[in-house]
Amino acid sequence: MRVGSNATRLVSQVLAGEVWPALADRHGFRVGPDGQPFSLPGMGGVTLGVHCGDPATGYASDHLEPGASVRHRDPDANMALQFLTCVGNQVRVESGPAAGAVGHVIGQHAYVLVDFAGADMGGITTGDQVTVTATGQGLALADHPAVTVKNCSPGLLADLPGGTRDDGRLEVHVAAMVPAEAVGAGAGMVSEYANTDLMGAYAGLGEDLSLGLEGLRIGDIVALQDSDHRYGRGYRPGYLTIGVISTGQCMLFGHGPGPSSLLSGPAGAFHVVRDPDANLASWLHQGQEWSR
Amino acid sequence: MSVAQPPGLRPVAVNLLGVVEHPELGGTPYRVDGDGRSYVPTGDGGIVLGPRLGESVFAWDADHAAPGACLVHPDQAARHALAAYSCIGNPVVVRTGHAAGARGAVLGQRGEQGRVIAWLAPEDLARLRPSDQVAVRACGQGWRPPGFPAEVTLMNLDPAALDVLPVTVADLDGSVTAGVRTTLPSKLAGNGIGRPSVSWDLDLQLRPPARAEGADPAAGEPVPAELVLGDLVAVSDLDVRYNMGYRRGWLTVGVVVHGASPMPGHGPGITPILTGPGDVLRARPDGAAHAGLTEHALRRLTAAGVELQ
Repeated sequence: MRVGSNATRLVSQVLAGEVWPALADRHGFRVGPDGQPFSLPGMGGVTLGVHCGDPATGYASDHLEPGASVRHRDPDANMALQFLTCVGNQVRVESGPAAGAVGHVIGQHAYVLVDFAGADMGGITTGDQVTVTATGQGLALADHPAVTVKNCSPGLLADLPGGTRDDGRLEVHVAAMVPAEAVGAGAGMVSEYANTDLMGAYAGLGEDLSLGLEGLRIGDIVALQDSDHRYGRGYRPGYLTIGVISTGQCMLFGHGPGPSSLLSGPAGAFHVVRDPDANLASWLHQGQEWSR
Repeated sequence: MSVAQPPGLRPVAVNLLGVVEHPELGGTPYRVDGDGRSYVPTGDGGIVLGPRLGESVFAWDADHAAPGACLVHPDQAARHALAAYSCIGNPVVVRTGHAAGARGAVLGQRGEQGRVIAWLAPEDLARLRPSDQVAVRACGQGWRPPGFPAEVTLMNLDPAALDVLPVTVADLDGSVTAGVRTTLPSKLAGNGIGRPSVSWDLDLQLRPPARAEGADPAAGEPVPAELVLGDLVAVSDLDVRYNMGYRRGWLTVGVVVHGASPMPGHGPGITPILTGPGDVLRARPDGAAHAGLTEHALRRLTAAGVELQ
């Protein structure tokens, strides 16, 4: 993105995390939109075979978190890890057979979500230690004071297409527009933690549930209409939030594939360009072998 | 059709124990409002003196303030059960402390770890202290009123409380009609969306008229004329039979149980009581003539609860 920023003034912090196990309880089942019981994997652990650019939905899964799901064992240190880590930050595996492998953060979901190359992913499991080089919070755009940046590494900002236009607006490329009706769980939460589940993206379910979002892919850059994420996540007509789809398939009602927040401000501060290539896969991991 | 409420089953009542909550804050007192201003939240849980049923949700400069006392339980699993099984109108009685013997009723519940809002007469509420024990006679989940259409699910309501609310079943077509203050679109549903309706309230993202001065009604931002604690409110395109979520053509009716919040994504909260397809569950906007759950009605329920003891 061709845009002036304070990127050179941002520090990096070295953070530690651990690949966290998938969690369940003795009751096993949760319920879907029509009361259907389900017990499905996808959240926590290392979810294989789904990477940036792949469809977000269409899997037998709930709260699908692509790649490795990372936390810190200490509650306060974990909040620092979740708040300070940004999309695009580099993550290195420190222990286990995949030690040395490098991946990238694709979002947050009460875990830091890390996409690795498929060949590396097979060697990572619960308990493996990782190092996150966190940088990006505090990023500000010099010529766009109305736009707030969240959870976006300077590297990702540089990679995004668009930038400052002659008319002063910020050009952003998005793969999909999301109506305000789609905003599910995550409304009312802070913008630096977890993501915003989108309803109406439940492939294969009734027309009464569809909001036309079944085509979302992991890594898609999307625009949330009438959403203000500058100081938390709320409905506000005339505001726009740009996010990246970091989680996929859900069966739990009121939940769904979700974007982590990247940019937010008055809609008039943006010039939105529809672009099917607006996906993290277009910029991250270039030059690496990315087997499925 | 709801699978949770087969017809013909009798509801049971369970005596539960609630403990009056003490408010909790982290090491930093500030929260941030929708315009980026910091504030110290007051009235968010515990015993809140001041707000009364029938007053505007914007009458007090507070955060999620409910007209009563919030009840919790020190064991988290028991706390979830307290929130899930307690229903609007359930009788409560204070067991310990200066207000021991005082009687009231459940007004609603709040989410996250689970809280039950207990309504007490103001003079009793003022004698309450955090950690006082309050017994709740929980009854109502799973109850289906006789003659109720199968498509409409009723929840979070004591069987005795239905009679004091403006809800009627039509003889001719079997539809249910609720008198409400207003009907709001589902895009105003905030915190609570995606969560289970038996143990969470649903915040409505309404900004106070004073703070909505920058609002653009032409852009669709609602500036509510009047919404008071205890009102019945309908939300369109919302199905709350299990978790709360978007479903085109459905309607949900809830009782306003706490006041506004400066936090983005938050606002006055409803405890849902009815949900169903819009052709079977209907809302009748009564505007200024609307009367929802009132102090008078809760006093009647409290008196009836004494007879049950």
